[in-house]
Amino acid sequence: MATKKARFEESMKRLEEIVRELETANLSLEESMAKFEEGVKLGKVCRELLEKAEARIKVLVEDEAGTLREEDAPYDSKD
Amino acid sequence: MPHDDKQYFTVSELNSLVRSLVEESYPEVRVLGEVSNFKRHTSGHLYFTLKDGEAQLRAVCFRSQADLIAFDVEDGMQVLATGRVTVYEAYGQYQIVVYAMEKAGVGELEAAFRKMRERLEKEGLFDPGHKMPLPAYPFRIAVVTSPTGAAVRDIVSTLRRRWPPAEILLFPVAVQGNQAAPSIVRALELLPGVEGLDLIILGRGGGSLEDLWAFNEESVARAIYGCPIPVVSGVGHETDFTISDFVSDVRAATPTMAAEISVPRMEDIIARLDGIESRLVQFARLDLELRRRRLSELVRSYALGRVRGGVEGAMQSLDYTVERLYRTVREMARDRGSRVREALARLEGLDARKVLSRGYAVCSDGGTGRIIRSSAGALDARDIRLTFSDGKVSAEVKERVNGD
Repeated sequence: MATKKARFEESMKRLEEIVRELETANLSLEESMAKFEEGVKLGKVCRELLEKAEARIKVLVEDEAGTLREEDAPYDSKD
Repeated sequence: MPHDDKQYFTVSELNSLVRSLVEESYPEVRVLGEVSNFKRHTSGHLYFTLKDGEAQLRAVCFRSQADLIAFDVEDGMQVLATGRVTVYEAYGQYQIVVYAMEKAGVGELEAAFRKMRERLEKEGLFDPGHKMPLPAYPFRIAVVTSPTGAAVRDIVSTLRRRWPPAEILLFPVAVQGNQAAPSIVRALELLPGVEGLDLIILGRGGGSLEDLWAFNEESVARAIYGCPIPVVSGVGHETDFTISDFVSDVRAATPTMAAEISVPRMEDIIARLDGIESRLVQFARLDLELRRRRLSELVRSYALGRVRGGVEGAMQSLDYTVERLYRTVREMARDRGSRVREALARLEGLDARKVLSRGYAVCSDGGTGRIIRSSAGALDARDIRLTFSDGKVSAEVKERVNGD
């Protein structure tokens, strides 16, 4: 599955393309309405990616086998 | 030469011979190196290793001289040792017998720093072409630094303030002493295995050139160079430069600035999204206005009582929708920067399905899916589809009907 970074980058890029196409290309009503809807959807995807992720802090610990485990931070370093 | 008429040395003979050769050649030397494996024997003698990036040298300092050393020797310390080179015959091991030692001055460390910098630069480790661009929106960031101290606090609080969506993974390492370089190297070897990691921040607060030495180690430089994930370094203060800074993909002056460079500001990205979405709405508004104007022209040119009723109804509904859009745009302008979810809800209000729920249906060709705009089109299609707010039905066109 694509990472959040990849999904966000891709959505932002497509969203900007759509706005450009709507404003410059001579589209039929159906085409432009479909793009409008796609744009609204992509905007929602972006906002969800930004808002859903609650700033989490994990500590990485190397175990005996040399693999990394993610553990919750023992302290909350909020400002 | 073997003595007597033998054709070989005994081990003792050879070691003794090498020892005297070495002692004659190097009666006094000064060596710059890092102390490691330091041990103070109960006898009071000091045993340790002097090393640099590539080589090691056994060292011993006997009690009478050890007592004269003005500081506590520790692993990881850069020292300038004076002594004589000898061979410990029992082990056939060459070593330096140290009789004076001082902490390496800035001059010596700087000279060593310059030398290594030149060598690694020649080798291409600082090549701009090898540097990776930083991701525009990192969502998973590893922070490699000491778990205590100001640097980790500065980095974490800056990341959280600027870019709350990012998940922060702390990788605690030693940043000073003889464990520092190996633990940083280990971190940089393991981190690429972390799923979906976008960026690594390597940081340490300010300190003396000696304190920052781990970030000048060749092993650390090579680990950064070989790391397939972008590395941002923020070591020391504005004026401190380390080899790590030259090798990393982006160098920041301080740990805080490393965090700032690494992530965008949430407000900026939200503002950009707001901008894009209001352009979308703007477009929808203009589009509807255009349709309304066309309809008005239609009404004017036909001006027939029979048709007018239907057209006026359509006009009214368009007026209503345009009014709605105006309101939405005005509200968006007013609330820009406030809760985004509301803006989104308003945008969704523009959805065609909401209009359908007021009693309209969209007529489309059952085969091609194209929207049908005229009765002629419907007659051509025959097999049509009607989309209501809650679903679709298929229908068949029978014939043209006269009248309203």
